[in-house]
Amino acid sequence: MNIIRNYIYQGKNLFRDGTFLFWAMVYPIILAFFFNLAFSSMMNVNFDDIQVGIEENNYIFPILEEIEFINIHKITQDQVDEKLFNEEIDAFVDSDLHLTVKKSGIRQTIIKEVVEQIKQTVKLNRPIDGTEFSVNYVAGKNQESNSVIIIFYSLIAMVSTYGVFAGIETASLMQANLSNLGLRINATPLKKQNFLIAGVIVSLLLNLLANTGLLLFINYVLKIHLFTNIAYSLIFIILGNLLGVILGIFIGVSNKKSPNVKTAIAISLTLFLSFLSGMMGPWIKAIIEKYAPFLNRINPISIITNNLYRINLLGNTKSLGEGIAVLLIYSMVLLIGSYVFLRRKSYDSI
Amino acid sequence: MVVKVKNVVKRYEEKIALDHFNMEVNEGEILGLLGPNGCGKTTAINCILSLLKFDKGEIQVFGRKMTPNSYDIKRQIGLVPQEVSVFENLTVKENIDYFCGLYIDDKNTRRQYVEEAIEFVGLKDYVRFYPRKLSGGLKRRLNIACGIVHKPKLIFLDEPTVAVDAQSRNFILEGIKKLNREGSTVIYTTHYLEEAEMLCNRIIIMDNGKDIASGTIEELKAMITTLEKIVVRFVNIEDEVINKMYKIPHVIDIERNGEDFIIKFENGINNLSNLLSFIAEYNLTYIKLYSQLPTLNDVFLELTGKELRD
Ligand SMILES: Nc1ncnc2c1ncn2[C@@H]1O[C@H](COP(=O)(O)OP(=O)(O)OP(=O)(O)O)[C@@H](O)[C@H]1O
Ligand SMILES: [Mg+2]
Repeated sequence: MNIIRNYIYQGKNLFRDGTFLFWAMVYPIILAFFFNLAFSSMMNVNFDDIQVGIEENNYIFPILEEIEFINIHKITQDQVDEKLFNEEIDAFVDSDLHLTVKKSGIRQTIIKEVVEQIKQTVKLNRPIDGTEFSVNYVAGKNQESNSVIIIFYSLIAMVSTYGVFAGIETASLMQANLSNLGLRINATPLKKQNFLIAGVIVSLLLNLLANTGLLLFINYVLKIHLFTNIAYSLIFIILGNLLGVILGIFIGVSNKKSPNVKTAIAISLTLFLSFLSGMMGPWIKAIIEKYAPFLNRINPISIITNNLYRINLLGNTKSLGEGIAVLLIYSMVLLIGSYVFLRRKSYDSI
Repeated sequence: MVVKVKNVVKRYEEKIALDHFNMEVNEGEILGLLGPNGCGKTTAINCILSLLKFDKGEIQVFGRKMTPNSYDIKRQIGLVPQEVSVFENLTVKENIDYFCGLYIDDKNTRRQYVEEAIEFVGLKDYVRFYPRKLSGGLKRRLNIACGIVHKPKLIFLDEPTVAVDAQSRNFILEGIKKLNREGSTVIYTTHYLEEAEMLCNRIIIMDNGKDIASGTIEELKAMITTLEKIVVRFVNIEDEVINKMYKIPHVIDIERNGEDFIIKFENGINNLSNLLSFIAEYNLTYIKLYSQLPTLNDVFLELTGKELRD
């Protein structure tokens, strides 16, 4: 029997499946889009310079000019209102170092902080160096955006497990007591393990494809750059995929609930774990860290989220072993669990 | 012997679905498994294919014990399940090609078989359709195609023509006969009497999980006592004359149905001319008169006390 054909047809069948297409391909992109909408004010700061209006004769003019992320506009007092109104500048600094703003936001807060720091430095009579402020600022800026970025790592962690839907579908096609098609396939000479292996591989590939779509969307459309170390990140994304597919097969074979119920179980479970790992707001992480820190170490989505964060934002690629081990253990246990159900070959009742 | 089922008992919790069921299928025949809803036809097929466990008895296919791992036996079998069982997200042609490919390795043979199967069920205009876009009857035809495409030595068809229109049904029945002529042994379950009568060389009548009779159609008909019925309507007849009719050779019963009399004869010859002589002798006038040979329904009725009607 031609094994490759089996892979291709199983792949086609899954790829055209409405459940898979929506949950694995479309839904994550919708989530990413809305997360971006909700948090973009906090993140835009990353990418644009702050526009500051100032008179040319102000003594801090040369200092501000040296700060990397500040863009200076030479203007006169009577232009201020107009420039603020047109949003050409975020703030105006007058000769007493008072700020004039039209609205208050993160950009205004940052420039205020910078000006305060300059005042302090001047008061202490220390030499003034523009780069000092930029270092402080970048640190501060990261603090601000990091917590938002957690949300995206958590989203990626969640959808890495979305092979669960393909796993459920594969399980249903494999068991004579779960679907009509399963019955028919069990009457053919196609070996169960071949169908299973093809199902797992095809599910993994399709979900990785879906994940790639999401990552490209985040990177090129939302312009949020999450990865500094893609190789290490991939280890966790792939482990998430493996766990997801095997979880799907386990949910699929371990009970006789309808496919819709099984899909609902998968969605709720992964959503709940993602919530615990900070997808609905990083505050939940802080709470768990405080009251039940072990939860973060056994929640597979948290493990993936935290490791993506550490690898890419903290540049820490040491001690990834624990996370990898826990994820592999989960996969093994679910695989063995599934095997117990799959081993049964003829049924008491169909 | 292609299939041999001996004293098989299958229970679902309380319900006994097969009750010491027996069945033998010879090479090259079309065997009909005839019985009402719920009599255990599908259960019997699933047990033979080792998809279901059974509690007692013995099943052999091609002279060997069938197990879930008997892949070499499965390779020679085709199944058309009672429920439409196809990939929802593969087209008509892809579905047929998928199932063909599970048995046939050679590319050219496969291509040819797929074309033939499409021809067989008349789905030529629908090859690119997804199953959900097909009507109920067309879906059933696809279901049939997926089960017979590899030209198996042994084919199980479980009520394949339900919901298929009369014309397509005849077309499909002819196709099954053709497969049979080309060497396939066919096991065909149905509760349509005409279908069984038209298609099958031999029939097993099932009721309540038991095989209550088996044989060719002639053999089955010979089992029952009434072998000929003559329906007749007279203009004015007295009860006294009716009673005299019992003297006609082989008459076993006379039933009245409105103005018609149904005169039942046991095995015998010249029943009609004997009746006509009687009519001439008593100078009777009749409006209509016709003879009916027994149908499978009569057989079923006499054996089970129930009618087997659609
Ligand atoms: N999974 C099951 N659990 C319990 N009872 C079942 C199950 N499947 C079938 N039965 C019962 O077993 C009996 C035989 O069912 P089966 O499906 O074999 O009948 P059938 O002859 O194929 O009927 P039909 O002509 O309607 O297809 C029926 O009474 C049915 O209700
Ligand atoms: Mg049935």
